[in-house]
Amino acid sequence: MFIVYIFILLLIMTLVSFVVKRAAHKIATVESVIILFLTAIYAYLRFYSYTGGMMSVASFPIDTSIGISFLVGVTPVSLALLFLTTVIMAMAIFVSGRESYDRRFYGLMMATEAGLYGLLISRNFLFFYVFWEAIIIPVFLLIALFGGKNREMASLKFFVYTQLGSVFLLLSILTLFSFYNTSYHQGFTLNMGKLLSTAFINSYITSAQPFWTDFILFGFFFAFLVKMPSFPLHSWLPDAYNSAPYPVTIVLSGAISLMGGYGFYAVIYPIAGAIGFMVAWIVLLLGIISLVYFGLVAMFQENMKKMMSYASAASMGFISISLGVGILSSGYNTYTSITGGVFQILAHGLIMGLIFSSLYIIKLNTGSESTLTVRGLFREMPIVSAFFLGGLMASLGLPGLAGFIAEASIVLSSYSTIGMIIFFVIFGMIITASYHIWAAQKSLNGPYNEFLGSIRDGTRGEIAALSLLFVLILALGIYPAIFYHMIFIYVKGGI
Amino acid sequence: MIDYAWFIFLTPIIFAPISAIAGWRRKASAGVIASLSIFISLILSILVFLSIRDQSTPIYQSYNWFSNINAGIYIDHLAIVMALMVSFVSLMIHLFAMYYMKDDPRKNIYFGETALFTGGMLGLVLSSNLLEFFLFWELVGVCSYLLVGFWFFKPNAASAAKKAFIVTRVGDLLFIIGLAMLYSLLNAAGVSGPLSIPYLISNSGAVVSAIGGQNLTIVTLLFLGGAAGKSAQFPLHVWIPDAMEGPTTVSALIHAATMVTAGVYLVARLLPLYSTSVFASDAVLYIGAFTAVFAGTIGIVVNDLKRILAYSTISQIGYMMGALGLVSIIGQSAVGLSIYHLVVHAVFKALLFMVAGVVLLTLMDLRDVKHMGGLWKKMPITMTLFFIGSITLAAVPPTAAYFSKDTIIDASYQYYLLNGKGLEYILPWLFMVLGALTTGLYTFRMFYLVALGKPRSKLAEEAKDPPVVVLIPLMILAGLALTLGLIQYRFYDFITSNARVISIPVIPSYMPLFMVLVSFVIITIFYGTGAWQKIDLSRSRIYRLLKSKYYLDALYTRGIAERVILPLSSGVSRAESGFSRSVEKTGGGAMAFGSLLRRIQSGVVEYYFVFLVLSVGIIMIILELMGGI
Repeated sequence: MFIVYIFILLLIMTLVSFVVKRAAHKIATVESVIILFLTAIYAYLRFYSYTGGMMSVASFPIDTSIGISFLVGVTPVSLALLFLTTVIMAMAIFVSGRESYDRRFYGLMMATEAGLYGLLISRNFLFFYVFWEAIIIPVFLLIALFGGKNREMASLKFFVYTQLGSVFLLLSILTLFSFYNTSYHQGFTLNMGKLLSTAFINSYITSAQPFWTDFILFGFFFAFLVKMPSFPLHSWLPDAYNSAPYPVTIVLSGAISLMGGYGFYAVIYPIAGAIGFMVAWIVLLLGIISLVYFGLVAMFQENMKKMMSYASAASMGFISISLGVGILSSGYNTYTSITGGVFQILAHGLIMGLIFSSLYIIKLNTGSESTLTVRGLFREMPIVSAFFLGGLMASLGLPGLAGFIAEASIVLSSYSTIGMIIFFVIFGMIITASYHIWAAQKSLNGPYNEFLGSIRDGTRGEIAALSLLFVLILALGIYPAIFYHMIFIYVKGGI
Repeated sequence: MIDYAWFIFLTPIIFAPISAIAGWRRKASAGVIASLSIFISLILSILVFLSIRDQSTPIYQSYNWFSNINAGIYIDHLAIVMALMVSFVSLMIHLFAMYYMKDDPRKNIYFGETALFTGGMLGLVLSSNLLEFFLFWELVGVCSYLLVGFWFFKPNAASAAKKAFIVTRVGDLLFIIGLAMLYSLLNAAGVSGPLSIPYLISNSGAVVSAIGGQNLTIVTLLFLGGAAGKSAQFPLHVWIPDAMEGPTTVSALIHAATMVTAGVYLVARLLPLYSTSVFASDAVLYIGAFTAVFAGTIGIVVNDLKRILAYSTISQIGYMMGALGLVSIIGQSAVGLSIYHLVVHAVFKALLFMVAGVVLLTLMDLRDVKHMGGLWKKMPITMTLFFIGSITLAAVPPTAAYFSKDTIIDASYQYYLLNGKGLEYILPWLFMVLGALTTGLYTFRMFYLVALGKPRSKLAEEAKDPPVVVLIPLMILAGLALTLGLIQYRFYDFITSNARVISIPVIPSYMPLFMVLVSFVIITIFYGTGAWQKIDLSRSRIYRLLKSKYYLDALYTRGIAERVILPLSSGVSRAESGFSRSVEKTGGGAMAFGSLLRRIQSGVVEYYFVFLVLSVGIIMIILELMGGI
């Protein structure tokens, strides 16, 4: 129930942010920090007591005759992502303080957070779908109202693209819903646990309905791969990331990108028994292609925001790889791979949060984000530069930082499935390392670009926020057990 | 309760941020704190050494890290020797660095980073799990990146740091593939701790039967790739000479004594796995021996004092690597040979680099040996230390390297003997002997150009010794360089009990010494008399080949990076923007289709009627075709 109270509190706070005119930034910051704090306490209480299954289950029946109820439950997967959401939202709202956004902006930001929160705690497909849709609207408005150049086009592209994904998601849900009644004869339900249960899927869908199995899987995969984004469904990404104002870019890369991955582990992985050899391989290869392709594209960008948005997409490739490997192998290889995938969502979100936040501060202080203009920044902004470098290092998978635990889990367990194809994964990682280091070398090292004039380092508040984020990434890299352990137990117990 | 041995590597890591922050206000305190932490590590290492000296059971303690991967410490004789070497040499270099870096405004950052580095290196040495090993492996790599680029405002330093990072990263990722093979195949075979070092080295037979001999050979070759990246073996050696752009103490600590030997340590650590496959151990041997002569030849024509030392480091590490490759004939005794040379090399190379640091400090960063000369008269104490370092490098008896290096060369002759005197088996010995010749050549050339003759620049004329007190660490190292030879056989026996004694016929056993003599004569003729100033070598083809480092650097940057990767990247990003446009066109197509349909809605009732009839007609036809209702 605790988690429902937090959610209700979040809804009230969203309303407050929309209504109160004065001090919009301060109010939103305080609100998001309170939510972060409560979620962190909730998570902390669960870390050590967790032994398996679903936590905080609660049900609020709405119309039981057609199976609609607001069913709430938290799994370790969603708990990790709830934590990520609250951290990223607090960060994004806090660093936006130097630009004077009004209450609409913060109201929409809080609405996005509420949507994500709702999505992660609902265990009923109706609410899952409603929140899935609900998130798109505030993000669309944020880009359209506050974005940079091309904002109308970019926001529209984002909207249409993700809407297209949602349609297929809905179709898949409805197909499952109707078979549950017509073939399984268990009445109407939209309970995710029941619709995705092995008993139902294996005996009434996989073998009995081959066409509809493919249809359902296609719908889910399409919706989630668009959100991820994965090659070749990604073309909303560069426009949306670039046209969005920086705080929204932080949210897009850190929090919105978790939706696709969450779909993978919460919806698709439980029905892994229905997924054939071919489909698993396609997903796996899409992951590898994304990693290499986005890496190569990123390498050629001189605009660091653009580069990092592709880098973000590239590292989401690991999630597809993790799912594919998880389905195709068995035993500890599967557990490690899937847990690594979930951990990757968490790590990727935090790392992108750090990178885009420090890039935002660099942009505010120098007025530029291009490697052609921003040069030798270590001299004038040593501290923010150091955090930016830390983010880059974490993003290329440096051991000791959170990204490594995830990538190592996935790559290590993949060999027995993919064999020598692993060289492509490694090639992708070399490409990643190269352009990260090039970006660092050009923008941070070398002689200072004197045309930028004398600039200041970040403010104390900003540095404090960046260092908290970095410490979090470091802590998860050295002692991953905080989240890894409970996710592992959950995965091992069978989702 | 964790063992106190954990603090061997934890102390410097904990003290690193403290030294950086404390040094913010009081600059002088940074070096003191960092040195103190490493001193503590040294004391702890000595305590651990004393406690396990007489027993063969190693200290092993580990905890679950994530998934089924444990992390902890594993200290056997090999590990403790490395820990002693790292903490001792690092302490000497830290003490000297307090003088060397005294005027740098960011020296708190410097000492924070070197302390972190030392902690990382000690952690690497004591790791009980390969993934934990890899964590420290990368930690020292990133410290190296940061320290090479410490003077980030120098474009050369920034680009050298980048090169060092990317080249070693290539090796690291080969290492990762090896780890992945080992991990996932052992997992599939149901082994409980797949990457634990004690398991791997004591059950190499079980590992072979679990994953297959061929797979294990590939794994070991991939590990060798990782080791080659870190230890700058051919063909991944290109980053070390550039890395000399960092502060000289960094070169002494990281690129001579400790980090670059991590690759050797990796192979030594996992040598039981290499001993299962002759192909893998031969690969180690041939790569090592070839690198020894290959890097030596380049070293002969280099004029930058630090880069001469860098190439000599590559060459010397080749000997250590080559010694490990002899596992197929002398078994685990190979570890002793290799690690003994590793320790000796760490001592005299750290000494040589610190002397170079002193020279650079007095000559205002002048690094070209052709502009030095006559320094022995100007700075006698420093140059005496330089002399000791040089004769040790050239393996003149009775210095320590004479015992450590010549034993390796002898053992490689035994490889030839024991393999039935096949002609191809003489190659390692030949490479190593020629390596000894090149070592003599570049060492004596360097010494003649730096220390003897007349000063050839204004700066060299005004050079003078630094205060003697700062040279104390160098003197300690010089003393060790001269005396470490005494413990040769005790050292071998400490690393592997009952180490094999190498004995070969007399004539080949004197070959290395003869080579030193030959090189001494050649160099004296050319450089002792000033004849070198009259000869113009730049037209000679061999000279140009050596000067351009066998075109390998050019191949990597111009051949691979600029001709393959960058065009690939630009091609893909062009494809990406084309793809993005085509998606937008699809959107535009939908709009056009919509506006076409809009025209039908013209408001003229007759049209509606026509469409109604047409559509009903089409539907009827379709139904008819499908077989009627």
